[in-house]
Amino acid sequence: MGEQTAMIQETCRKILTDHCDKGVVDRAEQGEWPAQLWDTLVDTGLTLAGIDESSGGSGGDVADGLTVVRSGAAFAAPIPLAETFMAARLIQLSDGQVPNGPLTVASGEFELEGGRLRGRSSAVAFARCCRHIVVSARSDSGTVLCVVPMAGVSINEATNIAGEPRDEVVMDCHADQVLNSGPDIGEEFKKLGALTRVVMMTGALESVLELSVGYALERNQFGRAIAKFQAIQQQLALLAGEVAAAIRATEAVTLDAPSILDIAVAKARVGEAVAACSDIAHQVHGAMGYTREHQLNHRTRRLWCWRDEYGNERFWQRYLGGHFIASGADRLWAELAEMS
Amino acid sequence: MFQGLRFEPIALPDSAAVLRLEVRTFLDEAMGKDMLPNSDFNAGESAEFSRALATKGWIGMTWPAKYGGAERSFLERYVVTEELLAAGAPVGGHWIADRQSGPLLLKFGTEQQKQRFLPAIAAGECFFSIGMSEPDSGSDLASIRTSAERVEGGWCLNGSKIWTSGAHMNHFMVTLVRTEPASENRHAGMSQFIVDLSDANVTIKGIQNLSGDADFNQVFFDDVFIPDDRVVGQPGNGWEQVMSELGYERSGPERFLSAFRVLVEFMRAFEGSSNVDAQAVVGRLIAHLVTLRRMSISVAGMLEQGKLPSTEAALVKDLGNSYERLVPELVRLYLPDKPSPRLIDTLNQCILHAPSFTLRGGTREILRGVIARGLGLR
Repeated sequence: MGEQTAMIQETCRKILTDHCDKGVVDRAEQGEWPAQLWDTLVDTGLTLAGIDESSGGSGGDVADGLTVVRSGAAFAAPIPLAETFMAARLIQLSDGQVPNGPLTVASGEFELEGGRLRGRSSAVAFARCCRHIVVSARSDSGTVLCVVPMAGVSINEATNIAGEPRDEVVMDCHADQVLNSGPDIGEEFKKLGALTRVVMMTGALESVLELSVGYALERNQFGRAIAKFQAIQQQLALLAGEVAAAIRATEAVTLDAPSILDIAVAKARVGEAVAACSDIAHQVHGAMGYTREHQLNHRTRRLWCWRDEYGNERFWQRYLGGHFIASGADRLWAELAEMS
Repeated sequence: MFQGLRFEPIALPDSAAVLRLEVRTFLDEAMGKDMLPNSDFNAGESAEFSRALATKGWIGMTWPAKYGGAERSFLERYVVTEELLAAGAPVGGHWIADRQSGPLLLKFGTEQQKQRFLPAIAAGECFFSIGMSEPDSGSDLASIRTSAERVEGGWCLNGSKIWTSGAHMNHFMVTLVRTEPASENRHAGMSQFIVDLSDANVTIKGIQNLSGDADFNQVFFDDVFIPDDRVVGQPGNGWEQVMSELGYERSGPERFLSAFRVLVEFMRAFEGSSNVDAQAVVGRLIAHLVTLRRMSISVAGMLEQGKLPSTEAALVKDLGNSYERLVPELVRLYLPDKPSPRLIDTLNQCILHAPSFTLRGGTREILRGVIARGLGLR
């Protein structure tokens, strides 16, 4: 880990510890926007870390932006850190200017015709909380990236099982910026989506491991901490293995330009870790972990959602398998050896 | 975060790409076309292959030149070993000597031992076995009973070791023995001997494993004389030495490549098809494999930096072994309608050897205990 990354991680941790306790996450689920948390992160420039200053960001590289996203996820921060990063990154790649305020992104079918943008998309993260939304649209001049003020967008509120806003947006409005994005923007969108979910899952998984080990050391049964029982130790060792794999898979994509194969590996592997990890974490936490009183649920419910977003494990497994089978069995090792 | 979960990305050295191609060229020539490669567990041993490999400088390749080594880095060695395993090369002869016994002697051996054994190992002419387990001592290694009494000029060894792979073909065995009676400190009073397996007082009996192969043995010592110069390092220091050996043993590519050829043959069966189940199975296994390899290389990088990443090594082996178990179980469920004999044979061999994956080099339960210690649970 570089010095810069470590510093960003530490700053995030401080801010999140102060402004993202369990109450903040619970209240967000009831519809309260955590303004203090968001504003503090904006004031320190962290919401646009990893975005070039010339595009309106705070500077730094992609790893910096992803560190913020990962740190937020470890605290179950109920704010669109990933979406703001994705939107800003897409705007930067299309030579636009990043507007102020929380941003989100939507995939789906959008058409730009005569200056009017039309289309709809469901499960848009945090749409109701955002100032602008970024979509790619078909137009007479090819694929364009549109930066749209939320004021003109209709929103039908919906949430995922983690209580995070996943709204439907309906557009028939003007865009603030229409950027020539080139044909690869769809691919970039897909990669960024999967990439942010990978780092979010890993952040949450690290937290789940910490909570589980902490709980096992605190909780007494039969006259001693349950951490002292081999049955619990073996389970936590398994959990640690899955988290270690997630960490390593994530390190490989926390780069400026990770390949789609590396992202596929990470999304498939980290997504697969979720079931095993949440299973063990909940078992170790006992009934307490099954309540809303304990913060474990903020992590595990999110993990169960994030693993399905931007392609679940099977989607990325098929992507990988399709690629390598088409390359040929006898080419497998040579290709794998390149992926170090 | 926990100390034992640090898996920093490590870039292989620039020399790796060239080295890799050299190894592949060598393997194309050294391995006959009719060989049916499988990785690791039954790749077999070939004295001829080991000698050929040695001429390339790829045995003992990290050791000093004065002991026959090539003074290359751990990461370069990593590249060679993974290429050999992925190709299913018959590495069994020199494997233990290169990975474990040589480095042990380099670290703890006397000058005379280094000169006697290391050049011979590096020449591919001296093969070693590991003598740790006994009939009544498996995971609880400190309970060993094989012991030696002080005699004029050396030691008189009695007892028995078991599960010693290759003892019937190898030349020497580094053997952990009690040289003092067991005391309160269970780890005290042990020593490591270099036992000559051709000694008339050493009896080697093959044990058939469930696949029908007999690659491991029970070895009996009946008043075997061990001269003083065959004691590794200091008498009484055996436990510490043995523990340091395990770091080399647990994190290498052999801990997740055992089932590699099964995956390759499975993929071959679906070339030209777009079977979605096969894609998903292959993709799932590759996502595991790529991640494991990266973890393993991270550990190799830490070893290179002189660190002792015992928790990380245990994590790699535990995850790697679980993956090796997953491969045949997934493949058999998604076999094509008319699988090739080669696919079936490779798969069956893997199924038959799979129980050993999570035993050799430390059972999964022991490894998870090591990991739990790293987490601060014990």
